[in-house]
Amino acid sequence: MAASKVPSRLLPFSQKQKFVCLRCQWTTRRSASTYTIETDLSEDVVPDSSLLTPQPDQDIVTAWDPVQRSRNRKRQLPPSRYKFRPPRYYRGPLHPHQPPSPSSPNSRLFVPGPFSLPRLQQTYTSTLAPDLLSLLYTHHPPGTLPGPTGQRLRGWDNTSPYHKNRPLRGPRGRAVLPLMKRPITFRNIPRLEKIVVHHVIRSSDNRDSSYLHVAGMILQAVTNVRATVCKARHSIANFKMTKDVTAMAVKAELKGEDMYCFLSKVVDVVMPRIKEYKGVSGGSGDGSGNLAFGLQPSAVGMFPEVEVNYDMYPPKMIPSVDVMVCTTATNDRDARVLLSSMGIPFHGKHAN
Amino acid sequence: MMKLSPALLSLASVFKIPLRPYTILPAPSLLPKPFPSKTPFSTSSVSLARKDQRNKVDKRITLIRYHLNHPATPRPLRFSRLRALRHWTIHRAAQLHLHTQRRLEQLELERQYNAMRAACEELRVGLDDGGRLYRQTTTRKGLFGGLKMEGEIVGNGGVPIEYAKAQVDGPPRGGWDHGWMR
Repeated sequence: MAASKVPSRLLPFSQKQKFVCLRCQWTTRRSASTYTIETDLSEDVVPDSSLLTPQPDQDIVTAWDPVQRSRNRKRQLPPSRYKFRPPRYYRGPLHPHQPPSPSSPNSRLFVPGPFSLPRLQQTYTSTLAPDLLSLLYTHHPPGTLPGPTGQRLRGWDNTSPYHKNRPLRGPRGRAVLPLMKRPITFRNIPRLEKIVVHHVIRSSDNRDSSYLHVAGMILQAVTNVRATVCKARHSIANFKMTKDVTAMAVKAELKGEDMYCFLSKVVDVVMPRIKEYKGVSGGSGDGSGNLAFGLQPSAVGMFPEVEVNYDMYPPKMIPSVDVMVCTTATNDRDARVLLSSMGIPFHGKHAN
Repeated sequence: MMKLSPALLSLASVFKIPLRPYTILPAPSLLPKPFPSKTPFSTSSVSLARKDQRNKVDKRITLIRYHLNHPATPRPLRFSRLRALRHWTIHRAAQLHLHTQRRLEQLELERQYNAMRAACEELRVGLDDGGRLYRQTTTRKGLFGGLKMEGEIVGNGGVPIEYAKAQVDGPPRGGWDHGWMR
């Protein structure tokens, strides 16, 4: 019975149901009884398919009584006969043996939560988002579009006949195409997307794995996320680096609750206590709404999780940490407004 | 041998505590130890002999390593049918709740946006001042980047630092802190 549907794309065009929307066509099921051998299958389809297997005999059908059979059973079935066992390896979406969905607690991917609503997140949804919406609002009178966008990929001036049919040139001075600037509406108010906290190990410390371990432990304690080790991407003999072997950095990627908690810790606890702190450099940012700043080892020591048992870590090995804040803003200007409304001070010339 | 109560004995057997008979150790003798009879193999002086030169690892690091190598994930939860159903129900309900909350927030933002647009349009066209008030309203001076005053950059790029405080449930115990600055 399970094999009674034939995808319509396997049928020749004349057999496809006409005047039926594509979605209905996909969900159409044909029972084996309506399936005739006369249907001319295309040559890709094996003609002797399981669809044509005859039904079981009537006496077999009548004799089939699973309830009675289970009652007659003397002892319980072994667990392997009735328990679902997830596959050891994921064999793709078409395999019949599928792992449980990530939302079910049986799954290894299941992440319980969210358990709390961080204060910063609450502030964002209730206050910051409407305020940012009104701050960043640009008025376009009805019937007008935001001005013409400049040329993104540069064309060729047709001074040479060889310019014909050439692909457009990339942006001047960089390899990456800058993101488009769109007017901010209620749909795309800039918000935090993720925060990456990482620590690059100095090459002189690379021999001693203890720096790596201490940094990983501190990152884990501070961010509530298991730190992962980044390996070298290239082999460089002068630096004694081997590709995929030498550990270069530890990093932790924060999303959701952890991200908001971490940022509010940085803003409310750490930054006010840094001596002579001017703020994050106004020139930081990659041009597409991701800002970054660094924290010195002395500042990392001021995180409450580290400070509470500072003696646990060798003081020389406390890492300096880079924090990369990824926002959904498409330019640094909006991202800076978002972060400064969350309490990160900026100093110096702002690169907008 | 010390006599132990049967209750203690059974407890010890449960918790796998090895019961050793309590014996008095002989006191360490105060006499000097006899000189080692064997002559050392090497004739070089003791100071030249290599001490234990393995680099000693800080105990804290050893401890950190121990905890970092904690065996990974515990096995996933296995629920019975009813418990799984219960979990599923609660999970769906929570997801639905979150979804409606998010939708309401979106709708509220949309309402505000539309109101703002209507107001701007009214200012632009509705008043007979040639759009003067509209131009004054929609200026974005000082929003991005530091405000320049007397050659130095003041402020936090438009958003005042006093604004950037996460919401709390109640007022602080000491009232408004006038000396607060960041």
